[in-house]
Amino acid sequence: MPQNEASLLEVRNVRKTFDSVVRALWDVSFSVYPNEIVGVVGENGAGKSTLMKILVGVFPPDSGEMYHLGSKVPFPKNPREAARRGVSLVPQEKGVVMHLRVYQFLFLGHEDEFTSFWGLKTREMKRLARDILKELHIDCDVDSFMYDLSLPLQKLVEIAKAILTVRLRCKDPDITPIIILDEPTAPLAVEQREQLFEFIMKAKKTSSFIFVSHIIPEILNFADRIYVLRDGKVVAYHDSSSQKVTEEDIFKEIVGRSASEYLYKTATSSTVRDRVCLSVKNLTKKGYYYDISFDLHEGECIGLFGTAGSGKVEIVRTLAGIMDFDDGSIVVDGHSLKGMEASYVGLKYGIGYFSGETGKELFLNWSIARNISILNLEKILKWNGLVISPAEENELAEEIMRKLRIKAPNPQTECYSLSGGNKQKVSVGKWMEKSPRILLLEDPTIGIDVGAREDIYEALLEMKKNGIAMILVSDDPKEYLLLCDRIAYIKSGRIEKIVSPEEFEAMIREE
Amino acid sequence: MKTLIGMIKNNFVLMVLILLVVVFICAYPKKFLSPVNISSIVRQFIRLSLFALGPTFVVVIGSMDLTYVGIWMLGGILVWYVSSWIGPFAILIYPILGFVTGLLVGVIQVKAKIPSFILTLSITVTYWGLTAWLSGGYPRRVKGFGFITASLLPYLPVALLWAIPIMIVAVFIMKRTRIGTYFYAIGSNEEGAELSGIDVEKYKILAFTLSGLFTGIGLIILFPLLGGSAPTELKLGSIVDPLIAIVLGGTPLVGGSGGPERTLLGALTFAVIQRGLSLTFWKPELIQLLLGLVVLGAILVGARKLKGMVIT
Repeated sequence: MPQNEASLLEVRNVRKTFDSVVRALWDVSFSVYPNEIVGVVGENGAGKSTLMKILVGVFPPDSGEMYHLGSKVPFPKNPREAARRGVSLVPQEKGVVMHLRVYQFLFLGHEDEFTSFWGLKTREMKRLARDILKELHIDCDVDSFMYDLSLPLQKLVEIAKAILTVRLRCKDPDITPIIILDEPTAPLAVEQREQLFEFIMKAKKTSSFIFVSHIIPEILNFADRIYVLRDGKVVAYHDSSSQKVTEEDIFKEIVGRSASEYLYKTATSSTVRDRVCLSVKNLTKKGYYYDISFDLHEGECIGLFGTAGSGKVEIVRTLAGIMDFDDGSIVVDGHSLKGMEASYVGLKYGIGYFSGETGKELFLNWSIARNISILNLEKILKWNGLVISPAEENELAEEIMRKLRIKAPNPQTECYSLSGGNKQKVSVGKWMEKSPRILLLEDPTIGIDVGAREDIYEALLEMKKNGIAMILVSDDPKEYLLLCDRIAYIKSGRIEKIVSPEEFEAMIREE
Repeated sequence: MKTLIGMIKNNFVLMVLILLVVVFICAYPKKFLSPVNISSIVRQFIRLSLFALGPTFVVVIGSMDLTYVGIWMLGGILVWYVSSWIGPFAILIYPILGFVTGLLVGVIQVKAKIPSFILTLSITVTYWGLTAWLSGGYPRRVKGFGFITASLLPYLPVALLWAIPIMIVAVFIMKRTRIGTYFYAIGSNEEGAELSGIDVEKYKILAFTLSGLFTGIGLIILFPLLGGSAPTELKLGSIVDPLIAIVLGGTPLVGGSGGPERTLLGALTFAVIQRGLSLTFWKPELIQLLLGLVVLGAILVGARKLKGMVIT
């Protein structure tokens, strides 16, 4: 975009820390021009959402300046104030109120402009709703309920609502709305995303978009300018009109290290055994992944590598019984699993699932000891399995705490008081003690510090040595190199090729 | 000093109970410690705790069970019907009815995924209707269970001796067995429990079944204690009082913590407040108002504790 043109909105040197320790944003400068799509990419925790929340006034920055149409203004105090300047956010999830009709949802929060003595002027609301949907080429009936719309259509109506919010709040009719889309494609299948992009390209004629995502190809295809955030800083900036950027460039900028820095992989002999414990054949879930086939051996770790949105996460979730599948088979030791098989059934055949999303599988109001023993109750039962022995429970926990270097006063410490890394270690620890036959790992070290990461890797490698098979999905290539024996490269829901760690290293290093 | 404050914080209800007892003794030394008053506190304690123990299991898993009143009413009439054939064994109708009701509620709740509050409320209303129909509209007294409540020692109700093992078993199940642990897990983090390989549906049904069964067993004692007949009219107090005992004790209605031992404490505290206030010369309306405020306070304190847990 031409720099001489006045920016719609600009922030300079924004800093934000949480609890005066966690540095979320550091000297970030950022601008939006009329009728463009600005891409913002970065890993989870890079500060993308924090920046967006500051732009719409969810919380104030510690320092920094904001300029609106070239003149200095204070930061907005709440989303209402931001909307008056033309900025509105479409949240990542939970933005839709399912049980409202489309027109009710569109005007939710603006009812005061449509009240009369007789109640709400529904006829006028419907007329205006029809107008804006028509203007934006969104094809749906204003009387239908939100839950009846398809996912992408819901997203479009949300965007329409954001544009409408700006128009109603902002008194200046000529203002170009800035619509912030926070990971808009996350819940959508590949085909559904096309519909969304098509819409955004059309709507660009009258609005500007900030497109937050960690899916690189999307950003590359649609954004006019790209900001790359890492650890709260803008580490790279690209202008698509003047230079050509590749997927690999951005990938490296996001991760922040080149592949050669990773390696300290101990040259252990392969732990892979001959026996196959999991066999997946032609597994298909339409819209997510197709024809996935592989055999997993005891003591082996297979990595499913690909960009976010490639379907890798969905494959692991299917194996964990959280997601359904359309076609194909999953066979564990001669027993075939159905889709959406409850976790306890999976665990009977030895499949454990561990997600790094903290708190998901921990019982935060419980002690460390109880969190570890919940998976391993049979080990600490006395009297023919009738009674839990607190002494043995404590012993079990102490051993795990020592092995994984969990920093806490004692096993009775309640989990909510632990740091993120230590929480994660408790989760890993309980699986370590359980030692299932197969462990599914989804982002096992997300959002935790280096020291804790290495302790967790050590534990996982030891489990592998003991013959536990694993499947890994992660955002960090380093993890694949450390843990995996084979890596399946997944693109658009299909396995492109299966490579060895050495080939994988070469692949990410050269690119 | 710090440990003292910690102790008070951890045993807030206990401190309140001690404080209340001291206050009532100071205000009404003779009346509060009189045998009549003590034994009526004990009676009230037994009533509240035996009604509240079963539902505590269900509250811990984060659901709600209001069927205890329904079981009490319908069971009373069934006992009356059956007692002419099998004499004192008729009282066993109660545990059977409790078990069946709990199992039914559990299965419906899990399979149809209806909010348990409204489901158990409608079961209770249904049982009320059945009771009114079967009884012809007025309570039916059944004699012959006096031995359960007979007095062995002066002032010490035998009913308490019968109730103690029930209380111990309830605490034991929740604190020391796999079942109890799984109940806490489901109430604390249902998704986490699922991921830990717990068959959540099975244990939810089990919680409702145990709730019904404990209510039924408790009613073997309560039925004769409360006059050898069951009411045919649904009263708000009989539904709400056990819930107050649960919440006052410190088991949050969202589940995951608390437990039967806290319910017992809550029941005792509630009984002391009720009896203590009735010694005053205040009007009944005022006492009712005060009781309402006490419960509101208990819920607020409980909610604050919860908030701390979620944020940190």
